[in-house]
Amino acid sequence: MNNEQKTPYISLRDVCFSYDTESGEKNEVLKNVSLDIYKGEFIAVLGRNGSGKSTLAKLLNMILVPDSGTITIGGHDITSPDMTEDDVYEVRRHIGMVFQNPDNQLVATVVEEDIAFGCENLGVEPSEIRRRVDEALETVNMTAFARHSPHQLSGGQKQRVAIAGIIAMLPDTIIFDESTAMLDPQGRDEVMQTIARLNRDMGITVMHITHNMNEAIMADRVIVIADCGVYLDGTPREVFSSVERLQSVGLDVPQVTDLIYRLKKNGVKGLDDALDPDEAAAQLLPLLAKTIPVKDAALGARKIPVS
Amino acid sequence: MSSIELQNINYIYSAGTPFEKAALTDVSVTFGGGVITGLIGHTGSGKSTLVQLMNGLMKPTSGTVLLDGKDIWAEPKKIRDVRFRVGLCFQYPEYQLFEESVMLDIAYGPKNMGLSDAEVKRRVADAVRFVGLDPSLMQKSPFDLSGGQKRRVAIAGIIAMEPEVLILDEPAAGLDPVGREEIFGGVRAFQRERNSTVIIVSHSMEDMARYSDELVVMDHGRVHMTGRTSEIFRRSGELTKVGLDVPQITRLMNILRNAGAEIPDDIFTVDRAAEELTKLLAERKG
Repeated sequence: MNNEQKTPYISLRDVCFSYDTESGEKNEVLKNVSLDIYKGEFIAVLGRNGSGKSTLAKLLNMILVPDSGTITIGGHDITSPDMTEDDVYEVRRHIGMVFQNPDNQLVATVVEEDIAFGCENLGVEPSEIRRRVDEALETVNMTAFARHSPHQLSGGQKQRVAIAGIIAMLPDTIIFDESTAMLDPQGRDEVMQTIARLNRDMGITVMHITHNMNEAIMADRVIVIADCGVYLDGTPREVFSSVERLQSVGLDVPQVTDLIYRLKKNGVKGLDDALDPDEAAAQLLPLLAKTIPVKDAALGARKIPVS
Repeated sequence: MSSIELQNINYIYSAGTPFEKAALTDVSVTFGGGVITGLIGHTGSGKSTLVQLMNGLMKPTSGTVLLDGKDIWAEPKKIRDVRFRVGLCFQYPEYQLFEESVMLDIAYGPKNMGLSDAEVKRRVADAVRFVGLDPSLMQKSPFDLSGGQKRRVAIAGIIAMEPEVLILDEPAAGLDPVGREEIFGGVRAFQRERNSTVIIVSHSMEDMARYSDELVVMDHGRVHMTGRTSEIFRRSGELTKVGLDVPQITRLMNILRNAGAEIPDDIFTVDRAAEELTKLLAERKG
């Protein structure tokens, strides 16, 4: 993407943030962070626990306010002292957030009422709310559950309801703060497909905070937070090619990326890099086929005891 | 080393009401001693119900739970003893911290067991060592710690009770790679040193591939399959069918095999794959 020519939608300049601990010390989390986010991007944010990923997210929709530095969203300085309470609500309508635990963010006893909750608080016309709720239900594939109680849904379904509640407020950006961490593989998949669709079909800017590498490679851009700031920033391929730099700050790369990296280190020639199993297979198969008789290899391999 | 055996367990929520729902149907499974067993299955497959039956938090609608061959409900008044012997650590246990200091929080369980102060102190020190907490944190408020540290304090609180059977529900959920390694490493050290039975409920197939010895796979309230972790991950097709996943490495190995490459079928960690492929590809060079 030619980000250089475009105007960033969200822009952070020299943002600092620290928490006060109970014992009165200051715990500095972000230091002089500058970052530009463009409309329509799908960004994955990686970082260790406590590295400041969630802090960054909360600064963007004004749950937290930076100690210093400026944040502009769509050209408006949200760190300006002139911000009124209405302005803050407006920011939060634009920048939706979905959290980790689905049970902490559903408020109503019926799915469609839960989705309507945000709109109602914004004072949207009832007929318009109806329209938006139906549309949001459809977007997250939950229309069949409109009258169900949220408590009887699976984790993945609950998260999709939470997402629908955000979509109904017509945000342009949604931040997912480890929204898949509590879900089983199927639930993760449902939520990730939904996120990808919001980004692709509705042009919603997505910031997805995760520890899951398979999810990170779905993004267009990966931002790694470490040492109180942006440590790496690039496409998944660029970021994950820095295997050693990532591991030195306690982070992983996708399993097959790690495998190919180790094979190269062990002297296996003819490998590039890979993010997913298909890519890795495409590189490994020619090597496997070329040099040994397949049957002999199998005999040799079977002798190796199961560890 | 203790074992837990469940025999013909049925558990029905809200029995006798219109909301009646069978959570477990005819479950018979044994969790043997001296290994880490992963308990996996889709949401609602009955994993959490199963673990709550194992330490007597819930009573089966029918069927028997045996701890070392003895029915845990034979003397309902002694169920508290079972809960000391079978330690259950819930999901997100850090939300259950409440004491003024890390030390007091970890000591809470053993104190309630009526142990002497010296014994409590020893157990707390041991537990802290297992979970890899920095001893300098002991006098701090648990609420001043990071998420990963809080999680470890909570798990230490269970380990300090030195249960014969340790059950952890998603102990590493939401933790970064280093945090996961520390938690699972600590659990492994505890299991080895005490030769105890450890059961881990998890949705992460990558973690289970790395850290479990055996697996019990649940599906819709029934035990779908059990076996060595290596055997279960060979059956990746079946895992996918019951709403589970396989690690990225297992998927890669399947692709290679399906394309005709002869690769051993027990590879499901990066370490093993790197070792094996290096061997194969190096052999070919020479």
